[in-house]
Amino acid sequence: MAKSSYSKVDEYGFERPENFNYESYDAFMSEYMGILTRRAQRWNALERGIFKSPSILKRFIRKGIPIDRRRDVWMRISGADNMKQNSPYTYAYMKKQIHNKSIIETIKIDLPRTFPDNIFFISNETLPDMLFGVLATFAHQNKEVGYCQGLNYIAGLLLLATKDEETSFWLLKTIVDQILPQYYISTMTGLLTDLDVLDDLIYKYEPVVSRHIKAIEVPSLGVSKDLLTDTLETISYWLILFDIGMPWAMGTTKWFICIFAEVLPTETVYRIWDCLFYEGSKVIFRVAIALIRLHKQDILKARELGELMMCFKVMRNNEAVIDCHQFMKDVFKLSGNLSKNSIQKLREKYKK
Amino acid sequence: MASTANGESFNFKVVLLGEGCVGKTSLVLRYVEDKFNAKHISTIQASFLNKKINLDDNRINLAIWDTAGQEKFHALGPIYYRSSNGAVLVYDITDEDSFQKVKCWVKELRKMLGVEISLVIVGNKSDLEKDRHVSLEEAKEYAEKVKALHFQTSAKQNEGVEEMFLALTQKMLDDAKKKTAQEQLLIGQNSQRTVTVVDDEVESTTRSCCGSN
Repeated sequence: MAKSSYSKVDEYGFERPENFNYESYDAFMSEYMGILTRRAQRWNALERGIFKSPSILKRFIRKGIPIDRRRDVWMRISGADNMKQNSPYTYAYMKKQIHNKSIIETIKIDLPRTFPDNIFFISNETLPDMLFGVLATFAHQNKEVGYCQGLNYIAGLLLLATKDEETSFWLLKTIVDQILPQYYISTMTGLLTDLDVLDDLIYKYEPVVSRHIKAIEVPSLGVSKDLLTDTLETISYWLILFDIGMPWAMGTTKWFICIFAEVLPTETVYRIWDCLFYEGSKVIFRVAIALIRLHKQDILKARELGELMMCFKVMRNNEAVIDCHQFMKDVFKLSGNLSKNSIQKLREKYKK
Repeated sequence: MASTANGESFNFKVVLLGEGCVGKTSLVLRYVEDKFNAKHISTIQASFLNKKINLDDNRINLAIWDTAGQEKFHALGPIYYRSSNGAVLVYDITDEDSFQKVKCWVKELRKMLGVEISLVIVGNKSDLEKDRHVSLEEAKEYAEKVKALHFQTSAKQNEGVEEMFLALTQKMLDDAKKKTAQEQLLIGQNSQRTVTVVDDEVESTTRSCCGSN
């Protein structure tokens, strides 16, 4: 990774926000460069040993997969390698089957709209072609899903990380077919279920935040006791001005559909994906709760929907989120039951 | 919708629906921030903007909800149009399919929300007249049939956008005032009825009267 503390784009070619704090980023990066070097050395030293013990592997992955190893490790830990070996068709063969005009047209509309401010997507002519290849091939071989917006961002980030079209295809297929089933189909039942699971978890983990958001949602019916004890003025303010609310879908659809691509800083997204590929979709809920926790005070300060939406919009600029190493530590420090089993039980409960 | 006691402040929720790439986000951005960005990215997650306007001495806050257009995201529609006072149903005048999609939304909204919701059907991208594929007469006729307003807009050239939102707001305002008037009329009728039956069933009429308040 190039040291880019003075560049206007990050190491993956994305423009930094206007009010980006270069000073604190510089402080983080000088530490993170050291961490990256150390992690790379550890991976080199242990090499094959890492994969022999699931607990060592999990620990190593949570601390971040070295950038130059991501492509191979992602393929291996996600099961994409297996999928590729067992597939009756090669990527090249499937790519030749692209024919459906409507799918082709829909994807082509989205190509220039995918990361329009990423210098690699603008300057590199082959990158949009590769993106088209991945998305169109995927859409043709999974007819139930076809093409769903959001997949362009996932595939785009896969390409930037792996720099390889075929690898990106198999990883995308693993995500859609195995890690996030039912998300991208026409009923989006998987997504709708997971939005309810998140609602349930936030209610358990951050009841005040949950109440606050719901108080905003239906003030005339759902004014909580906390609010009623507030001054009369505040109450009338709520009642008169706000009878609109934020469904969780409004703040978090992208968290699920794009697995935080276009939501969080690129390196943070890759660190999340490292864990997602090994531990599965339950990781998304950990990250979601950590994000809500991190922004709890801002969310509670929000007086109306616009302000609340803004909290969700600016999360990517939070220094605590940019510091991906510490952020991932916090994500896995969350105590409580967020195991595969308990998430599965909640999914059963809210099954659509 | 909520209003103050003197009936001068209104808060309306407006939802934008329509196929992908017809210009929903561009219409909102033009209306609220007077901006146009040809390169704007596709909307996956619904977003929200406020616009405050004064109309007939009423202070109105429009909460405009912009939604994702791709067919896939249709499943999320109900989350967003729930409790809307108005809907802007957008099609692209160069794309016949997008007009068919508007018809689907009209059916769904009328089925789920009845006539409570004010509708405006909007043919966007009027600057691309030479590529028109949806006949203006046909669209107007359809809008009339389903009791919706119809407008042509160009978010790019800032044509018809302000007028469209204003007309929708006027309709929502009229409906809201009509509804209030009707409710008051009903209350009046109920109290009259209470007077006529007061000898027979004092308790039950009192209760039903409370229920209607």
